[in-house]
Amino acid sequence: MTVFDFGGAPVVVRPDLPAALGRVWDVLAGPGATWTGAERVAIAAAARRAYDGNPPEEAGLPPAAADAAARLHSRPASIRRSTVDGYRETGLDDAHYVELVGVVSRLAAADAVMRVFGLPLVPLPNPVDGTPTGEVDAAARRGPAHVPMVGGASIPQALSLVPAEAAAQEQLHGPLYLTYEEMADLAYVRGLDRTRMELVAARTSAINECFY
Amino acid sequence: MLRASAAATDQPIDLRAVTDRSIDPGISGGSELLRLVDVALVASHELEAARQAVVATLGPEALVDAAGVIGTFEMMNRIADGTGMPVGRGALARTEDLRQELDLDRFRHDR
Repeated sequence: MTVFDFGGAPVVVRPDLPAALGRVWDVLAGPGATWTGAERVAIAAAARRAYDGNPPEEAGLPPAAADAAARLHSRPASIRRSTVDGYRETGLDDAHYVELVGVVSRLAAADAVMRVFGLPLVPLPNPVDGTPTGEVDAAARRGPAHVPMVGGASIPQALSLVPAEAAAQEQLHGPLYLTYEEMADLAYVRGLDRTRMELVAARTSAINECFY
Repeated sequence: MLRASAAATDQPIDLRAVTDRSIDPGISGGSELLRLVDVALVASHELEAARQAVVATLGPEALVDAAGVIGTFEMMNRIADGTGMPVGRGALARTEDLRQELDLDRFRHDR
């Protein structure tokens, strides 16, 4: 049973989509590598407030984390190397920041899907108690990107400093769009053919002023 | 990927439509999909009409896929910008003409 209910959607929604989004909520609620479940939910709440144009409020987060969550969700194209360097200088280390990027980016995906169907956003989950795992990949190295990555900078490796975040990204990528393996098939057809999928992707990126 | 998939499936498409909404992309349902993205991310009060247009031209499963793709790239754009994903030399070389035609280099934030 997932909290993502598409019963009110104007069309029938294939079941893997709410199931995948439900897993996002489950993962969001629990402790991550560096943040507790309560902190992860607070990060998501700060991001949502900013996206809706509301001023920030005291959320029990370090100021750099609150700013990063708000900026990443509402103005992602404004993030520069100097932005991330500034967060690091105020104590938001790379692992905390990468985990935050994972949390906010999957929130953005879930909220966007609900908006397309004209459905209300799903309330954020209640946090689950627990201690952060501390699991980061010691093989990650600083390179041309803003944060360390394992095996060179590439989109699949973007969150590789924090393996749980990279895994959560990949688990959502397939049901919503294509698996990394399916991406190699330029003639792939589901509800849309590949060309039309890429047209939607390109326009989304253009609106977000993102080169990708 | 858009240019490559269009070529692989022999569907001529006007790529300028991605950044210039006065241009028709030239494939069936293309304008309806672009409109859906625009109103979903910018002007939600026109969403119902945009959804209906996609369903009417491409079918209900197309709307589901479009929602998934929009969600995915809302996610991936934030990951790319948040982590400062660099654009590789190979990608830059392959897309030089397209980047110039669509003025895409204004979106490079990896510096």
